[in-house]
Amino acid sequence: MESVKQEVEIKINDVSVTFKDNKGNNVPALNHVNLDIKKGEFISLLGPSGCGKTTLLRTIADLLDPTDGSVRISGLTPKEVRMQQKFGIVFQSPVLFEWRTVKENIELPLEIMYWNKKERSERANQMLELVGLKEFANHYPGQLSGGMQQRVGIARAFGIRPEILLMDEPFSALDEFTKEKLHEDLLRIWAKTNKTVIFVTHNIAESVFLSDRVCVLSPHPGRLSAVVDIDLPRPRTLEMRDTPHFNELVAKVRNSFEGGSL
Amino acid sequence: MKERIKKAASSKVVVTLVWLFGIAAIWEVMAMRVAETKRTPANILPHIGDIVKSIFDAKMVSNNMTAVQLVLSNASDTLLRAFWGFLIGAIVGFLLAILMKLSKIVEKTIFPYLMLIQMIPILGMAPIILAMTHDIGASRIIIAAILTFYPIATNTLAGLNSVQKEKYELMYSYSASKWTIYRKMLIPACIPYLFTGLKISAPMAITASILVDTLQGDGGLGCILSQSLKHAMSIYVFWQIVLFSAAVGILSCTLMGWIEKIVSPMKRIERKQNSIFARRKEAQYEKEKEKSLATGE
Repeated sequence: MESVKQEVEIKINDVSVTFKDNKGNNVPALNHVNLDIKKGEFISLLGPSGCGKTTLLRTIADLLDPTDGSVRISGLTPKEVRMQQKFGIVFQSPVLFEWRTVKENIELPLEIMYWNKKERSERANQMLELVGLKEFANHYPGQLSGGMQQRVGIARAFGIRPEILLMDEPFSALDEFTKEKLHEDLLRIWAKTNKTVIFVTHNIAESVFLSDRVCVLSPHPGRLSAVVDIDLPRPRTLEMRDTPHFNELVAKVRNSFEGGSL
Repeated sequence: MKERIKKAASSKVVVTLVWLFGIAAIWEVMAMRVAETKRTPANILPHIGDIVKSIFDAKMVSNNMTAVQLVLSNASDTLLRAFWGFLIGAIVGFLLAILMKLSKIVEKTIFPYLMLIQMIPILGMAPIILAMTHDIGASRIIIAAILTFYPIATNTLAGLNSVQKEKYELMYSYSASKWTIYRKMLIPACIPYLFTGLKISAPMAITASILVDTLQGDGGLGCILSQSLKHAMSIYVFWQIVLFSAAVGILSCTLMGWIEKIVSPMKRIERKQNSIFARRKEAQYEKEKEKSLATGE
């Protein structure tokens, strides 16, 4: 474990979320989750569909209020942190504004935060370079491939230098080649900015490769069943995926699902 | 070669030409059939050539004016009324859509009944509006506006409702104000839909304007149209107006397309580059696949 990351930033305290289905019955989505996330940590929320991983992310992002329990981020409520515009969010789909060029899309949150034109442009150029889309600055999203669009989404999220980056299955719609490339890109950008990343995924290898810690969630009802430390050295390279230790970690994560392996 | 034919067939110019020639051919065949009957063929369906010839005919038809002079001198009134009606209809339609988006209550109370306004026949509505405005010019503009606002309102509202949930969540995560959400997200998102509405409405405004001209005999295309039908002047005035208003209607729709391209450059560039880009991407993908096959991955 990298010992520098000690300060707890996000405290998830006994969080439960219950939805109502259309018959009015209560459906538990998350059941008493406790988790501390440290500052600058890359943490994955891993699990099959229905395990509540996205629900947990949404409670941190203030997109959803927990039915029970609380989330505190450096002592503040998620809402307070959102009002301070400290969240960056990347969704499963790129969620780009089709009528804006790539560069204008990256500038969107900066406009909302009242940056001046020159600063916006500088930051956007910087981010475009970081994700390798400099020559596509004036293209429109519709002209880009899915992988490129997702990279614009990542550039937009990192562009505001958020304290916390929330990623909801950002790569699950991409092909394997593009995914591997984006894994490397993401880790490179993260290493430069060193923000806390919470990464939701259902891909075991992906979570092991990217994270400092993998939080394994099990379904029915969604609950945290294990937290696995990933002690692979950084910077991570694609070759590490072929080492026995990587495979051991993958096996360890897989076996920590409640009800045995999947 | 085959590909070239395919490409030519899908080009807009070719499609338009095929339509034009097709319609002209059918017209001519029918005109020939009509000419064989004993009725006045010019009233029912004259040859296209005769209509075109009448445009250049120097014969005075009415008030020392040739047919084409008569048409053009009356056109400005009608088109101007159509323009104002269209403009008012567009603004009202757009604002109504925004209002319905802002308030679910407004949407639920107004939207289903908007369609009712469309169902009232114009000729039934005209006297009522005239009685309210006491001005035939104003009432004509209002009727044109009433006929145009509905497609604009519905299309714009559809555009406002088309924005995906994640975009709202993104704006929410930036804690953007309602005003910012409208300015930066909802209004730009509804622009293509708005233009669909405008393209439908623009020719409708012209047709409506001609129709309400017939209500009172004080000039305008519709007015001389009905006069020419009653043999008060050359019947070719009627046909010239038909051709003229059809042309202006199509032009008004095209004009909306041009304005759209100016307003949203994305439209212009996307259409031009999409095909090139898609091909390039495909080629790149093929290459990657080959590479992965070669390395045995």
